[in-house]
Amino acid sequence: MDNDILLKIEGLRACVDDKEILKGIDLTVRCGETHVVMGPNGAGKSTLSSVLAGKPKYTVTEGKITFMGRDLLAMTPEERSWAGIFLSFQYPVEIPGVSITNFMKTAVNSRRKAAGEDPLSAAEFLKLMREKMALVQMKPEFAKREVNVGFSGGEKKRNEIFQMAMLDPVLSILDETDSGLDVDALRIVAEGVNTLKTPQKATIVITHYQRLLDYIVPDIVHVLKDGRIVRTAGRELVDQIEEHGYDSIA
Amino acid sequence: MPTKTINQGGTYRTMLVAAGNTQGLPALSEDCGLEMLQGTGLGVSLEIRENASAEILALIFPGADCSLDFNIELTGPGASCNLYGLYLCPEAEKVSVRADMHHKVHHCHSHQLFKGIISGTARSGFTGKIVVSPDAQVTEAYQENHNLLLSDTAVADTSPQLEIYADDVKCSHGATIGRLDEDEQFYMRSRGIPESEARALQMLSFISPVLDIVRNAEDRELLADYIGNIIRTRF
Repeated sequence: MDNDILLKIEGLRACVDDKEILKGIDLTVRCGETHVVMGPNGAGKSTLSSVLAGKPKYTVTEGKITFMGRDLLAMTPEERSWAGIFLSFQYPVEIPGVSITNFMKTAVNSRRKAAGEDPLSAAEFLKLMREKMALVQMKPEFAKREVNVGFSGGEKKRNEIFQMAMLDPVLSILDETDSGLDVDALRIVAEGVNTLKTPQKATIVITHYQRLLDYIVPDIVHVLKDGRIVRTAGRELVDQIEEHGYDSIA
Repeated sequence: MPTKTINQGGTYRTMLVAAGNTQGLPALSEDCGLEMLQGTGLGVSLEIRENASAEILALIFPGADCSLDFNIELTGPGASCNLYGLYLCPEAEKVSVRADMHHKVHHCHSHQLFKGIISGTARSGFTGKIVVSPDAQVTEAYQENHNLLLSDTAVADTSPQLEIYADDVKCSHGATIGRLDEDEQFYMRSRGIPESEARALQMLSFISPVLDIVRNAEDRELLADYIGNIIRTRF
């Protein structure tokens, strides 16, 4: 059924600094689905997530992306966020001098403003913060810390999932969220992601390893190699890659 | 310029508003020791004696056309000086800051931190000098000047200078001229923060270490809000 479709990528080609990274990607994501994009280093996985979120450095040379019926490529990064796209960064950026509270208040209220809604009251905002912080087991003092400054690898990724919970996206893209995480942090992050899942939403997990997939179970697995999706299958493909490596997939 | 002397064990804390438009500057507590300077050729001369300390925040607001010279001498063991400053030049300002920090005796400490945001056709210059005399062993002296250049027609000059004549010394200097970081901006925009507000947050993030010198948290917040408003409306 076509009105199930959240995201449709057709014939996408993209380059950075005149070097073509994505060489014709087709991908359809429906409501309720969890997709995994796997692939060796340099395959274009992070480029795909950056293009979806609208990173200015990347140029789309061909193809189109439709998100909930809208032309995604015509939208700015902030408009994509307001429309319900969230990218969890592989390397979250540090912003000294800006507290998590201030940062999130600006983000949440910017979206409310774009939707014609009043900003949240201080009390409402605080309640929302507490609720979502608990989801990723962040202590209360976390709210006062500067965004990602002095955070451990695990804290940075938990902060990403916290922000995801605050913004309540329709499509979440997790770019190498498992990298640099110990087992406990991995479990907390995965539980956060699973709790946020609903039949109306979808997730794209981008990963090099199958580790995270022990916790977040995918419906559809894609293998990306040299800028193209070379294989799409069910979750059994993960085991094949684990056993025989990416070389076993042509 | 007359020299102000900070006597043995004394402390001197002040916020100098050197020039530019100060309309709406909030009323701050007495802790800040606000001084408004008048004119275009401004100078501050200090002698800091044994175990005395000075903490200075110099602010140059939009619309300024001035030079501001600091001449600071640390003349008694244990003397210390934190000299922080900020210049905001969105349009056609001409601002030049000069800071001479002279360590004349042993066991003194100084830290200079100046930051500037320059846009339009404005020009800024910073010349910072640390002099460590031969007798000034066990000196710690640091100097930083960082500039954000937001237009192709704005000019920022920076010239750090160290003259060290003693050997037991910890000294460093750093000077940068840069633009707003695109990755940082994209990170914020991807969370739904519009580009203009993301830029403002980046600028506030950039200047925030300078405001750390303001000890009273309420004053610091009032100042940050005031500067935030300048950033949002002028840059």
